[in-house]
Amino acid sequence: MAMHAPWKRAGQSNNTVMVVHCDGPLAVDRIRRALDLFLDACPWPASRLRRPFPWGKLHWAAGPRATLTPPPVRQAAATSTRELERLIEAEINAAIDPHREPPLRMLVIDTTGNGPRGQGVLVLTWFHPLMDPRGGQNLLARLSTLETNGGHDASLSREVTRDPRPFRERGRIARTSLAYMKSLAPVPPVSPGAALTTPGAVRYRQVSFDEGDPRLRQTRDISWRLAVVGKAMAELWRRRGLPDVPFLLPISVDLRPKGEPGATFGNLLAFHFARFTPSDTADVPALARALRQQMADAVRDGQIDANAVAMEFLHYRPLRTMLRALPWTAGGEIFSFNCADLGEFPPALARCFGRAVLNAYHVPAVPPRPGVGVFFNRCAGRNNVVVSWVDGAVSEEDASRLVDAVGEGMGWASTS
Amino acid sequence: MLTSDTGDGSVTRMPLPPPRIDAEEVAGVLTAFVNANVMARGRPIQPDDDFESAGVDSMGLLKVLLFVESEFGLWMPDEDLVEENVMSPRAIANYLCRRRGPS
Repeated sequence: MAMHAPWKRAGQSNNTVMVVHCDGPLAVDRIRRALDLFLDACPWPASRLRRPFPWGKLHWAAGPRATLTPPPVRQAAATSTRELERLIEAEINAAIDPHREPPLRMLVIDTTGNGPRGQGVLVLTWFHPLMDPRGGQNLLARLSTLETNGGHDASLSREVTRDPRPFRERGRIARTSLAYMKSLAPVPPVSPGAALTTPGAVRYRQVSFDEGDPRLRQTRDISWRLAVVGKAMAELWRRRGLPDVPFLLPISVDLRPKGEPGATFGNLLAFHFARFTPSDTADVPALARALRQQMADAVRDGQIDANAVAMEFLHYRPLRTMLRALPWTAGGEIFSFNCADLGEFPPALARCFGRAVLNAYHVPAVPPRPGVGVFFNRCAGRNNVVVSWVDGAVSEEDASRLVDAVGEGMGWASTS
Repeated sequence: MLTSDTGDGSVTRMPLPPPRIDAEEVAGVLTAFVNANVMARGRPIQPDDDFESAGVDSMGLLKVLLFVESEFGLWMPDEDLVEENVMSPRAIANYLCRRRGPS
């Protein structure tokens, strides 16, 4: 992974957390036992990121089973919602150094007092390049199943699906992806983090909404959601007086075949690069149509497949490669903001370590530039909107306005 | 191209009507495409299965619609992207038949 030169030694976090609210306290011993059982079959939760000396490819390395130490599972208590949020924010900001410590850890929080009383909240924190959010869900589902079934999980395998195309062919395809990315932004995009001189702490705000009219299929489409987020972001732009230059942002595409959990570790994502101007957001339906057309063109032209191949070549360092290769990053900007829809929380996690799951969501640490991201997911019939931001790029008030604008744009009613 | 005699000696040329399609057959073709290109091996769906319940996301549906475009020459406009038209392979097949005329 790489960071912008001014922030290289600032300890900026690459963590992602998954927060799972359960209907009662979670037993820490059960989680530790599950991790121990998991290591019998798969070493990666106890591995380290290595690069052969003096140079070579970054890779995960783990010794024999007897040398593997399970990742830490800690316990804490929160007496209010605010305290719970502070504990979660601390997990996001305590950057995991995968060269020296396990690439993931867990925190179990018991809630008491004025907050959501009597809940057990599981916070799974990991170094983002270890796995994507769907991988995090798969890991938790497998740990929970392992512990419940006494160490037998038929779904646990080390199978890795490899691209059957020859190396030379994949190289050619990856180069077309890079050429395509170079052609995307005629002028450098602007992000809220452009004015940052030092990166602040990562913060987040999560709000649950009741589904609006379920017949409105259109609103479940990523193009519609991105258009709504774009409109909310354009309002922030107007307040800041930022120029009407194109927004540019990556939309993740989950490459796993549907109908089964799929792989846990590694990056199973490709990206589509959406672009539109803040002024385009005035008409959300028209913008959603244009974004859908962009995505259809990208599939037709093979750009999403090419990006998937390129991601395999970039191997843990997509950001550094992009910074080196893309013309618009010379000023430090990469994207205008982040946005993703993580879809439905898997049914396999309706129960977690013997407890019913009440709600769950992801909070990724966004890089200082763009400094803000909006993430959707659904769990237990609720729509979650998470805004994750870097302090200084946007304020808490800005983040609240973004959440409100997104909820309003989606036609949802707040439940929290 | 069809021609019709207008009676005054001139001939009017009209484009051929699109070939008629059978909803059952189209649903089968769409289901086969989804099972081969979107779903995991060993997790096939049936023509009446709900895409969303089967885990087909926005990108999966977009692939299906691009297949419809290449196979049947129809691009589904945004205003037609409603639940009853895209919820399952059969729903898309029925929509196509309505657009093209049933057999």
